[in-house]
Parts: sequence; C-alpha cells; structure tokens
Amino acid sequence: MSTIDEGVRSMSTAFLFPGQGSQQPNMLHNLPDHTAVKETLEEACDLLSEDVLLMDTEERLQSTITVQMSLLIAGVAAVRALKAEGVTPDLVAGHSIGAFGAAVCAGVMDFKEALSIVKLRGELMERAFPSGYGMGVVLGLNESRLASIIEKYSSLEDPVYLANINSPDQIVISGAISGIEKVLKSVHSNGARKAKILDVSVPSHCKLLKSVSEELSARLRGVNSKQPAVPYAGNRNARPLRDKTEIIKDLTLSISHPVRWHDATSVLYELGARLFIEMPSGHVLSDLAKSAFPYARTFALSEGSITSAVILYDREKGTNG
Amino acid sequence: MSQSNTCGSATRSWTTRRDAKQKRLQKVKGLADGCIIPTEKCVEALEKLISPGDRVVLEGDNQKQASFLSTSLTQVDPNKINMLHMIMSSISRPEHLSIFEQGIAEKIDFSYAGPQSLRIAQMIEDGTLKMGGIHTYLELFGRLFVDLIPNVALVAADKADTEGNLYTGPNTEETPAIVEATAFRDGIVIVQVNELVDDLPRIDIPGSWVDFVIEADKPYQLEALFTRDPRHITEIQILMAMMAIRGVYEKHHVQSLNHGIGFNTAAIELLLPTYGESLGLKGDICKHWTLNPHPTLIPAIESGWIDSVHCFGGEVGMEKYVAARPDVFFTGRDGSLRSNRAMSQVAGQYAVDLFIGSTLQMDSNGNSSTVTSGRLSGFGGAPNMGHDPRGRRHSTPAWLDMITEDDPLARGKKLVVQMVETYQAGNVPVFVESLDAIKVGKEAELSTAPVMIYGDDVTHIITEEGVAYLYKAQSLEERRQAIAAVAGVTPIGLKSSPKQTETLRRKGLVALPQDLSIRRTDAKRSLLAAKSVEDLVDWSGGLYNPPAKFRSW
Repeated sequence: MSTIDEGVRSMSTAFLFPGQGSQQPNMLHNLPDHTAVKETLEEACDLLSEDVLLMDTEERLQSTITVQMSLLIAGVAAVRALKAEGVTPDLVAGHSIGAFGAAVCAGVMDFKEALSIVKLRGELMERAFPSGYGMGVVLGLNESRLASIIEKYSSLEDPVYLANINSPDQIVISGAISGIEKVLKSVHSNGARKAKILDVSVPSHCKLLKSVSEELSARLRGVNSKQPAVPYAGNRNARPLRDKTEIIKDLTLSISHPVRWHDATSVLYELGARLFIEMPSGHVLSDLAKSAFPYARTFALSEGSITSAVILYDREKGTNG
Repeated sequence: MSQSNTCGSATRSWTTRRDAKQKRLQKVKGLADGCIIPTEKCVEALEKLISPGDRVVLEGDNQKQASFLSTSLTQVDPNKINMLHMIMSSISRPEHLSIFEQGIAEKIDFSYAGPQSLRIAQMIEDGTLKMGGIHTYLELFGRLFVDLIPNVALVAADKADTEGNLYTGPNTEETPAIVEATAFRDGIVIVQVNELVDDLPRIDIPGSWVDFVIEADKPYQLEALFTRDPRHITEIQILMAMMAIRGVYEKHHVQSLNHGIGFNTAAIELLLPTYGESLGLKGDICKHWTLNPHPTLIPAIESGWIDSVHCFGGEVGMEKYVAARPDVFFTGRDGSLRSNRAMSQVAGQYAVDLFIGSTLQMDSNGNSSTVTSGRLSGFGGAPNMGHDPRGRRHSTPAWLDMITEDDPLARGKKLVVQMVETYQAGNVPVFVESLDAIKVGKEAELSTAPVMIYGDDVTHIITEEGVAYLYKAQSLEERRQAIAAVAGVTPIGLKSSPKQTETLRRKGLVALPQDLSIRRTDAKRSLLAAKSVEDLVDWSGGLYNPPAKFRSW
C-alpha cells in the first residue's frame, strides 16, 4: 500500500534578491562571517576604487546609487558564501535592482559588469526626476480595483501608474506625488486597509523612466553575457526566462515597467520551489513568499546563519528522495 | 449492394489501428521481457512506443500522479517525439507543462490546472501551448471514448505482477477509465508501478488491458488534498454549517450528497454528531455520500450517521481506517478501499440529492467562478456535480421538494448549494457585479467564460447573513433580490434594503439565522465533534494516520 506524503514532489530551492527598501545601515558589515563574503567585499573595493565598508552608513544610504550598489554587493557576497557551502539554487528571481544579483547568481553576467551597470542605473535614476515624483503603497486592494481608481485620478500633468504587484493586495504605485496623493486619499473609501507615500524620490517601474531603460539598453547590449545556469523569473512579465537575451531584456525594461513580483514568485512555486532563501538584507521577500505559499519554507539570510541555510537546504533536498 | 460498396470493402483494411499498434510493439521487442520494461529503459521505450502527433493521456489525477512517466517524458528527444496532444485531467506537476516548453507536446485538453494555473495562462498567451478545451472530469472521460481516443496511456498503479495485472488499491481513481479507453481501441497502455510482485492483493485492472509495466525509481506522487484541519474552522463557518443543516438538509430531507473540499463543509461534517444529533436528525439526513474519505467525516461515521460512502479517490492516512469500516466504504477482497473517479462522478451527478460547494466570486445572478485574474485553473468535478442533471427520472423527497409549480409535468431538481462568506480574506468581496472569469476567458481566448457553476443551477446560497432559497424565485428579479439579501455589505448586498429582506423572509425566499432558531452566539467551536487532527485520530481509535504536515504533536 502506498502511503507517500509530500515526499515525491520535485522540491526546488529558489534564491530571492531584494530591491530598494530592504537596505539597512551596516548591511555590509552585518553580512555572514565567511571567506567568500570577505573576498567579495575586497573585490568590490578594488572594482570601485573605494572602501565599500564606508558605504553602508545611514547617511550614505540616502543615495539610491549607494543603496543599489550595496544590495548587489550583499546579494553576490551571500550567494558566493552559500554556494561555497553547497547551497545552490534551482531557480532565481530578484525584485527590481535585486534582479541584477539574480542575473549574476545565474551566471548571466559577472559581478564586475553588474556592479558598473548598477552604478550607472542608480545615476540615471537619480538624474531622471529631481523632485515632485515618488511612489506610494496600497494594502488591501487588488490590482484591477486599484487600476480603476488610478485611471480615475491619473492625468497628463499628474500621471500615476502601477509599479510593483508584490502580492494580490500589496501594490506599489509610482508617478507624480500630487497624483499619488489623490489616489491614496480615495483608496480608503474603496476598502484599502492602509495607504501611504514611500520615502522614495524616483518614480520607478513606470513609463516615466523610459529614458533610463533606453540608456541602460545601450550599456547592457555591450555585456558579455552567458546562458543562465538556472531559470530566472522576470520582473516585467513574470516568465521563467532561460535565455540570456531575454534576461538582458528584462534587466533593461524592468525599470520602466511594473514589477510583477507576486507572479514571478508564483511561477517559481509552480516550477517546484518549496524553499525560498532571501539574500540580505531584510526579510520583505521571504515574508511575501510565506504568506503567498503557506506550504513552502522561507528563510531570510539576514535573520539566520549560513549554517541554518545549509540545514534547511539539505532537508529540502532530502525530501527529494 | 452497390458496386462501389463491394469495391470499398475489397480494398480497404479494417485493421489499420491494430496493425499500427503491432508495428510499434515490434520496436520494443528487444527492450521488454514480456510486458516488463526495465526501469532504466523507460525513456528509450517511450521514444519507440510514442509517435509524433499522438494523443497521449498522462495520468495526472487530482491526487495520484504518474510522476515517473511524466518525468521520463521530459527526457525524450523532441526531434523524435513532438507535436503530442496531451490529455490530462489534472495538470499538477511542473513537467506537465515543461514538455510544451521543450517542444515535445503542443496541444492540451484538461479538467483542472490549479497547481499550474499561472504557467498555463502564460503559455497560452505566449503561444507555447495550444488550448483544446477545459472540461469537467466526467466530460473529459467521456471524450476519451468519442473524439479524444488516446493512442497512448501513461498511468500509475501500486503493484503489478508479471502478467501485467494491476493493483491500484485505494487510489484507483481514474486509472480504469483511461486504460479502458486506450486498451480497447488499439492504443498502448504503459503503467508505472511502485513494485513488481508475484501475488497481488487483488486485481483492479486485468493484465489483458495492459501492454507494458515499468517499475518506477520511486513511488508515484500522492497528495493529501482532502484533509482539513479542524483547528482552522472558524465560528462563522460553524454558523453557516448550522444554517446548512437546519435550513437545507433538514428542511428538504437530504439523504444523499457530495461535499466540496472546504472548511465550510468540513464544519458540517463535524456538526452532525453534535448539533445534528441534538436536532434528532440521525437517520433522516446525510446517509449516503459520494465523497473522498475525508478525515473530518470520521466522527459522523463513528456515531452511526453514515450508511455508505463511495469515493473518487483515496486520502493519504485514511487507508487503515477505511479498511476497518467495510460496512461504510467500498472495499475489495483484500480489505482495502476501491475508489473510482468516473463512477463516483456519475453518482455525484445523477444519484445524489445535493451538492454543496464554495466559490471565490459570485455575480448578482448567482453565477460563480473560482478563476482569478491571470490564472487558468479549470474546474475539476464541481460543475459536474454542481448542476441539475435534467435527464434524471428517479425521485427522492429532496428532489421532489424543489417543485414549486402545479404543472402535472413538473419535475424535481437536484439541490445545488453555494456556501460562502460574503468577503474573502484580504477584504475582497465574493459578491461582485461582474465575474473575473469573463476577462480571463477573453484573455485566454476561450469560446466561453470559465464559469464554474451557472446561476440557474444554484438552488440555495448560504452566507453568514442567512440562506437564500433561489429555487423559489418566480422571476430573475426576485432571484437577484434574494441573493442581494444575503450578500452582506458587498457591492451586490448594498442593493438590498431591510424592507425588501422582510418581504423575502415572509415569502420564504430568505431565512435569517433567527428564522431557523439559530442564535449567532451558539455558533461556537465547542460544537465541533473534533477540534483538531489529533481528535480525529482519537475518534478513529488510532486507525487514522495523518501525514506529517498535519501533525502538531
């Protein structure tokens, strides 16, 4: 008689790379104590010709350029440490800037190239919209309901767009502050639980940043890219991407298109991901995964050790039979 | 006889299918020992036995998955095997869709794709996969005998002997239906088994229907889909369950029924021995069931409520309990459960008084759907059981009770009950102006919107507000009013007024809890016959062996 439980499913491990908002002061200092981490930090210092351990102060993390570089460095350092201990992903995805860490992890581009592109991306974003623009978050409304409210309040002068669909009822919007404020004011009467302006000065992930995509495109075309070792879930269309050209396209266009994060991680889940490990820093993505997939295990490296990641990973592979 | 006819029969071969099959069988002569193909030769055998463009049924049931064969299918050379037309009742595993990305398969006909509902929607949008139809289970099984007759069946069994006889045991599910459609029209039946043995506990499928048996590298995947932990049942669900028992089951003398998979219906099952008992209903209602062996049914069985249960499939952990209750369940000579999805769906369609289920969205006319934007999940068995089979001719008290007119030709109706809270988690209203299914249907270019249960089949709606007796509505307008009256503060519910609700209550179209002598404050978890999985194990005398993920102790 067969009494198999969940034992025979093809269990996979996904690495998740967080985006802006997950940075924390001292995030590079707080990385796991591991040779691979030390080496990565040294490499970053050489590549940038500056001491990256001076980058992660609260003050310097006010700059989106520093934030983006710090997140990439932290993600790559963590991946290298995990891989050194035998923890390798079957699937990867990164939220916004995190996608570059995911691309490096999948072997699509090397750390050096990613670091210089991410620096450029930050600079282009900072330059794009000096003031009057930003982002807001709405909890408790689904995409179609929020979209219909945005349609009502968005105008040519005060444009507002969907920017991140993080979960079915956690959505970030982007655009002119005055337009965002109008939308946020009206969502409450439409059933939202919470709505607020975010402390971000760039209206990311909407067409206002089309010029950034175009300039990034020129730079990314010159990248010496390789085929990914594992599927990469795209930001823009949430497809599992297995071709380097498609991944480069996603990295290029993501900044001017909504991040379909909930769908991207759902695709990983449907592809068999049952252990989600979030790279430093923070735990935003593992929390989202935990509520979206109650039967999966989630783990934020910032909140645990490499050793616990190894144990969880071995357990997951163990159930693979 | 005309000249042309004589001519035709002289030149035409009537055994092309049989001959083609023989040719394919010849190709694996060197591989197989009798009907046994060695495990490591599986991929090679599939490449020889399957031809491009074949219709292939891959057994992905609700619970049981032919996981070794589906994994092997992803390893065939797409240059040799391609353009397959896949037929799968349930698209569950990642590789069920990966074969389309790899260019091995191109078209799909299916019933349920819940676990892969986003990928399938993406692949349709991207043109990676050609959509056939979405079916209810019985409909798909039916087409296996009409216009989707398989060339190859890839199925799973627990055990086989060297003659190819199969033991499918408690998880027989749809294996017999698939194998029959394939075997008797010269298709090729390939079975993965957990083990090869000399003596089978019993024969569920005879060896003469089977072409090849392959011992899998590990047992087939099996999921505990129908286990609901009583710990998660809320007091609102208990209130609705009380209304179902009083306002529907008792009122109409419902004796035979099917329950859905949700916590709402689990609550009903767990209230029978307590609340149901206190109303003196034992023996009057809920005697015959078409239902998987739900662990939450154990207390009702143990307290003598249940005469019979026929099962679509098994349930992990219930094997010993079921085997120890042969008076209730269908069991073989070996003592273990015999399930059969096709037969249980027929029973659930034609032979029961009532179907009760839940939904994610319902519109003002009572149409319901579980699809969400960007996802294509299909239906499974719900539409099959959740409709009135108009060919029915036998009568039961509940069926006759649905007659509301004096017409001498009037006939009864199956009770189709939707049991929903007016809001889902996350403040999302269940009652809506327009179903997401319409948009999803358009996006996926389906010829009809993927409605799960049509409003005109729904006889009752139960919410935390009360019961709407839709079968009594004399007009579409009255029907809408009754739905609005129980739709709470959703956009649909706001259309109702207290005065209108009063009128509907007087006419018997709506009942509030107090009309059924139910006090909201009585709906307590203490009413549940079992409050945890551990309690269910106790009720079963230790015979129920829950899977690890349901153990908290």
